[in-house]
Amino acid sequence: MAVTIPATTDSSRDASDARGTSRVFATEWPIYAVLAASISIVVGLMWDISWHRTIGRDTFWSPPHVLEQAAAIIAGLSCGYVALRTTFAGTPAERAVSVRFWKYFQAPLGAWVCVWGTIMMITSAPFDDWWHNAYGLDVKIISPPHLVLATGMIAIQLGAMLMALSAQNRASDDSSKRRLGTIFVLSAAVIIEMVSVMIMEDASMANTMHGSRFYAATALVIPVFLVAFARSSRLSWPATRIAVVYMLITMTAIWVLQLVPATPKLAPIYNPVTHMVPPPFPMLLFIPAIAIDLLLSRFRMNDWLLAAAIGVVFVSVMLVVHWFWAEFMLSPSARNFFFGADQWDYTSRLGEWRYQYWNRDVDASGNWSPVRFGAGMGIAFLIAIFTSRIGLAWGKGMARVKR
Amino acid sequence: MRRAFLRTLGIALVYLVSSAHVGSPDTWFEGNAGPYHLTVQVQPAGVVPGVAIVNVRANGDIPESVTIQANRFDATGAAPPPEPAPAVEGDRGAFSGRLWIMTGGSNSVTVAASGPKGSGKVVVPVVVVAYSRLRLEKPMGVGLAAMGLFLFGGLLSIVGAAVREGSLGPDEMPTPRTRRRARNAIALTSGIVVLLLAGGWRWWNVEDLNYARSMYKPLASVSSVERSAAGELVRVSIADSAWIHRRDTLWLRRHDANSWSPLVDDHGKIMHLFLIRDDMNAFAHLHPVTSDSVTFSASRPSLPPGRYRVFADIVHESGFTHTLTSILELKPSSQLPAAVGNPDDSWYAGSSAHDSRKAALESGATMEWERGGEIVEGKQATLRFSVRNADGSPARLEPYMGMPAHAVIMRDDASVFVHLHPAGTISMASQMAFMMRQPGDTVIGTLGKRLSAAEMSTMRHAPVTVGTVSFPYAFPKAGNYRIWVQVKLNGKVTTAAFDTKVSSGTGS
Repeated sequence: MAVTIPATTDSSRDASDARGTSRVFATEWPIYAVLAASISIVVGLMWDISWHRTIGRDTFWSPPHVLEQAAAIIAGLSCGYVALRTTFAGTPAERAVSVRFWKYFQAPLGAWVCVWGTIMMITSAPFDDWWHNAYGLDVKIISPPHLVLATGMIAIQLGAMLMALSAQNRASDDSSKRRLGTIFVLSAAVIIEMVSVMIMEDASMANTMHGSRFYAATALVIPVFLVAFARSSRLSWPATRIAVVYMLITMTAIWVLQLVPATPKLAPIYNPVTHMVPPPFPMLLFIPAIAIDLLLSRFRMNDWLLAAAIGVVFVSVMLVVHWFWAEFMLSPSARNFFFGADQWDYTSRLGEWRYQYWNRDVDASGNWSPVRFGAGMGIAFLIAIFTSRIGLAWGKGMARVKR
Repeated sequence: MRRAFLRTLGIALVYLVSSAHVGSPDTWFEGNAGPYHLTVQVQPAGVVPGVAIVNVRANGDIPESVTIQANRFDATGAAPPPEPAPAVEGDRGAFSGRLWIMTGGSNSVTVAASGPKGSGKVVVPVVVVAYSRLRLEKPMGVGLAAMGLFLFGGLLSIVGAAVREGSLGPDEMPTPRTRRRARNAIALTSGIVVLLLAGGWRWWNVEDLNYARSMYKPLASVSSVERSAAGELVRVSIADSAWIHRRDTLWLRRHDANSWSPLVDDHGKIMHLFLIRDDMNAFAHLHPVTSDSVTFSASRPSLPPGRYRVFADIVHESGFTHTLTSILELKPSSQLPAAVGNPDDSWYAGSSAHDSRKAALESGATMEWERGGEIVEGKQATLRFSVRNADGSPARLEPYMGMPAHAVIMRDDASVFVHLHPAGTISMASQMAFMMRQPGDTVIGTLGKRLSAAEMSTMRHAPVTVGTVSFPYAFPKAGNYRIWVQVKLNGKVTTAAFDTKVSSGTGS
């Protein structure tokens, strides 16, 4: 018996764990489905950008496009199903964690946001196609149809994040809180990745890190999300965790893409690349994120004052860190597999510009102007304070989301 | 705003000028790719980057496979891999493929054919520019607006639901306070979205304006008649600042202007100048000379007075071609016409052939247009002409600037002008520039010198053609056209004119 009891106990615990896992999956599968869609979208986007920089040949059915389209379909169908089931066949418990849409339809808030994002992505397709026919293929990240597409993508990712968030906020036991809190961090990091890709043209290359434009662009998009997510997370050091995951996603992309052999399929080729061109090394966001976590956890003050403190600290830390980081990234020490520096599109006519600073704040005669740089940084500080304030308000609201 | 909306909601695809030639964007080539005699048509997208359609037809032996490959004149890396141009089902000898052309300017399409007779390739120069404006058609505009409204309504509903119910526990119901807050949030979101949409609309208009500014415009030029000791001269001057300052890199950078490469000879001439009177009953093909590549002068031809449209074809060392356009008022001349400055200059005053089929040439010779059926816009026309001596025997067509014949086609409103040869609409100098360019040709002018020498050699060895010439071409739009065909008989250039009506093919 003494031998059999533990065996029986282990097997019944296994069975109980298996039942628990399947019960968790049965109730939480939409969260995992939209999280997978959210990750696929950002992976597809990074792959697509690398595709355009390396191979060039573009079709509606290129592999990265298919991944993004599949992700949108997964998100849309999953959330559409959840909405129909909750509306027409939902249990009282399911309806109790849903919100009403047009008085009749019911689904969790995140599901509605996902469905909206999917429709936005679908709408962008004919608009983007028309744009290409009217003005030529827009080989830049920010164009009107691309912004419509990106809004749809970010909405799906926000929907995934909201579904994880409301589940986290409803969780009662520690295990669920940890699991759902981790999913929330992951879904939030995907959004940080996404918005950092959106500002890639102004704020990604080390060459741009000595210009105030870099700091204004990051101030515009990073604090609003990072502060909001940090305020609504239930885990410790949330902003830092999110920033680290963001960096890991980008670094993984850098390492994986460099391993894939590829050559350009379009002319003209000025830089004959032999493998997928990786994205630039991620911004060192974890350092300002540590500062945000410290400010949020250690200081109790009026939100306007807190926003001012976060805004000023965020831009100051970004400036100090990236000013010197840029010098390393432009040095020969960064031109290796780990950092992936000095890798350019097949259309780039390589020259000294690769190791020079761009977007510098210069005067009319082309010399660096401390006055212009100071004015630009002043704008970056104001932007960061404003976006931090929005982030604080949004985070406060999100911390209460339960549906 | 309303005007901008209407402008965007128009329905026409408007063609403007299209690099060398006017209103005739397609490139046509006829020649040999190894053992295969091919006709190649490249239909550019009209926007850059865009997808060009390449149609290839084998005349005679038919290859098994055809590939196409685009490249730009200054690419430093290897050319990308060729794309297949599959055979067109049900049309023996026809092949068609699509090519992304990513950068404007002087590009080429290399067509390679292989089959039982062997393999061969030929380079077709293609000037790629943005020339078309696509308006947003009404159904598309209405569809997008409807989706936009739906998404707008959906967003407001989601925001309202989030504020009203998002924070409620399982059994809680929204309070009047949360309902009020939801209404406020909807109002605030509406305001923000309307502001964003207004910003987006403005952004679209700026992009549209920038695109319109980037569309191709030929270098600005003016023409005049000047008196000189040798007689009256027709003078064409390139007035474009970007050309006048072409060697001033600072000026070009400051004005964000294109840096043009020097001009090179095409058929041994730096410029091919065409004067066509408004009523199309007077025509000249002249070859001005220049000392500074800015002002070009030719002896005034003996043409009746009137208002003339001036078309001047020039070729850059890059292979880029322009047709400069201007207006010239020819007044009655008090001087005798100057001695012909260039033996290859020629002119013709008179209407078209009586039945637009058979024209009388000098010395009793005739030129007959072997017309096929109806000529339809966008479809290859039969432009085949047989030249016979007075006794009815096929005439011996001597090379005229290296070519068996030259043809000039103009629509009666001058919205289409093209200068073509039996080899098509391409410039021979551009084709040679692509074939002769070496990686070391980074100093401007070095390739141009080799090109001139090679062209002279090619022209000296050009063969005599007997009897018949044909030109590969499709008229780009319906309307009334005149075609001037020039051949050289017994050492003298002679011109025939034909009229034709091109239909839209829709029965209208």
